[in-house]
Amino acid sequence: MRVVGISKRLGGRRILDAIHLELFKGQTKVLIGPSGGGKSTLLQCMNYLIFPETGFIELEGQTIDPRNTKALCAFRQQVGMIFQDFNLFDHLTAVDNVAIALRKVRGWSRRQALERAMAELERVGLADKATLYPAELSGGQKQRVSIARALAMDPKVMLLDEPTSALDPELVSEVLAVIRALAQGGMTMVMATHQMGFARAVADEVLFMENGRIIEQGPPAALLTPGAATRTLDFCSQLEGGI
Amino acid sequence: MHRLVWLFLALFFVAAPVGAADKVYVNGIDANYPPFAYVDKNGKPSGFDVDALDWIAKKMGFQVKHVPVDWDGIIPNLLAKKIDLICSGMTITAERAQKVAFSAPYWEVKNVFVVKKDSPLTINEIYAKPLTVGMQAGTSEAKWMADAKTKEGWKFTIKLYDSSPMAIEDLVHGRIDVAAMNYPPARDAERKKPVKILGTFGEVEEFGVAVRKEDQELLAKINQGFALLKADPYWEELIAKHLNQ
Amino acid sequence: MQEILTVLWEAAPFILEGAGITVVAVVGAMFLGLGIGVPLAVAQTYGTGSVRRMADLYVWFFRGIPILVLLFLFYFGLFAWIGLNLSAMTATVLVLGMTSGAYQSQIVRGAILALPQGQFKAALALGMSRAQAVWSIILPQALRLSIPGWSNEYSILLKDSALAFVLGTSEIMARTHFVATRTYQHLPLYLLAAAMYFGLTWAGVGVLRLVERRVRIKGYGETA
Repeated sequence: MRVVGISKRLGGRRILDAIHLELFKGQTKVLIGPSGGGKSTLLQCMNYLIFPETGFIELEGQTIDPRNTKALCAFRQQVGMIFQDFNLFDHLTAVDNVAIALRKVRGWSRRQALERAMAELERVGLADKATLYPAELSGGQKQRVSIARALAMDPKVMLLDEPTSALDPELVSEVLAVIRALAQGGMTMVMATHQMGFARAVADEVLFMENGRIIEQGPPAALLTPGAATRTLDFCSQLEGGI
Repeated sequence: MHRLVWLFLALFFVAAPVGAADKVYVNGIDANYPPFAYVDKNGKPSGFDVDALDWIAKKMGFQVKHVPVDWDGIIPNLLAKKIDLICSGMTITAERAQKVAFSAPYWEVKNVFVVKKDSPLTINEIYAKPLTVGMQAGTSEAKWMADAKTKEGWKFTIKLYDSSPMAIEDLVHGRIDVAAMNYPPARDAERKKPVKILGTFGEVEEFGVAVRKEDQELLAKINQGFALLKADPYWEELIAKHLNQ
Repeated sequence: MQEILTVLWEAAPFILEGAGITVVAVVGAMFLGLGIGVPLAVAQTYGTGSVRRMADLYVWFFRGIPILVLLFLFYFGLFAWIGLNLSAMTATVLVLGMTSGAYQSQIVRGAILALPQGQFKAALALGMSRAQAVWSIILPQALRLSIPGWSNEYSILLKDSALAFVLGTSEIMARTHFVATRTYQHLPLYLLAAAMYFGLTWAGVGVLRLVERRVRIKGYGETA
């Protein structure tokens, strides 16, 4: 996946400034940086939930034309998205949350879709919660369901927008465990996060974003080793000191 | 859910009247105008005009159905072909005659003032004092009264009602001082309520049957029918039954 | 007293029949209004350009004009002009339904706006088209949230239906008036009519409450 020259303005303010990004199969990249730095906007541009003003996205050598609705939907199926506040469908049970896109988008039968949905729920350790509604689940469980929902579509890339920020501290680890397992399983991912320990352990590359630009990028070892004179490290020590 | 919506729509369109095969003329009546036209307690249209028209229809060989229509909308209903004639104590006026064709007059009525039974009011006092006079909206007498009041500088104010029995009701409760209406409904009220007829006003009004101007054939049948009816003993019977109980 | 009871007894079947007409008119108008209101609400919230403007115009038109005027306008004007010869009942249902559609669209629109919009994004991110997202994600929730608004709309419509007599639809009010002018028993007869309206309101609101309970989602709305 390649991101080429993405720019976006909102209300006259430049949110993204000619971002370039290249993502190889099986890679995990972590986006860090201060709030308002453009991380979330970049992720949403990457599957055209937000249309950038300039630049384009390429997936496996194919350029995506966002005005072609059919192609856009097909593209989005290949790019899973995890949101900070889960965005589960409140009127559907956990298993139906996972199954609905399979039925509506893929046109699978109800049985087929439910079977696959159960398999995905099992993968995130929630098979026993399948018939519960979102309002009956904890935050961590909701986020795991939303991961299962994205995985059910067999995405080639996963975009994770601060998946643990809205969680109580004691629930963070169960979600991170699922994501870690994904990374180890060879999923291609871009994840915005403030979890530095996790970034160090999992990321192939760390990108530091501020004011709509990628300021520093490199392997975590280079950017995050104590004593390295990087903006990334500065930011992280502030963050960790603050908590 | 959507199927239900369509089902409903379909039902209503199918239920709309279709057949012109067996032509039934629809007579629009003011169901609040006893004793000429009203609806019985059990929902049957009745009254002097209803009985008269039924007799004529039978004699002249057509079918007729009586349907209550809001008096304010009765002429639009006729022009929009929702009804075919109005035989319901309609006064012939020049204004109405611009829009509809009237039969020859079949009845004459006076207009009267009605007051409470124990009221000391006199006719002259009505014109001279700042009283409140209740009348039915959209009637010829209400229009006459409003015009004459401006011209003569009478002191009372006119309060308009949906029907003259409602004016009677307010009269009984003391919310208006006088009710003004055609003689026959006033007689009806006099028999049922503690009110009395004080005296007449305005011009004598003539009732006619209204039809659309292009329906000359129907108009001819009605004119002929009334002529036959008036020559028949049934005419006196009708008068006795409805108007002089 | 004896006389009053006799009048009520004799008039009840006639007026009850009017209640049947009222129910058919109101329920028909509710469903028609639903069929119009939901697409309007969607057009107003997710539509773009002219679609949205048309929906706005529709709502603005039907909310801005009194029902009595609309009844006249359509029955004697528009319907006749386009050569549509409708019965008074059909016209009543159509006009009440079209008006109710404008009001119902605002109920549904309010419900859509009350939903967390992230769900729409999440549906798109899964590859759903906007139409699919609206149909299978937004509407099932918005319609549930709309039920309290509908019970309000139902009771308003029930009372508005009395205006339909200008077209000759003789429902409860018109029939009560007929009998009252005939018998001069205004008070007991209008009490009877009031009781019927009350009963109909109670029954309709009860049915909607039942529906609300049937489609309730566990835990939903209690935390929100």
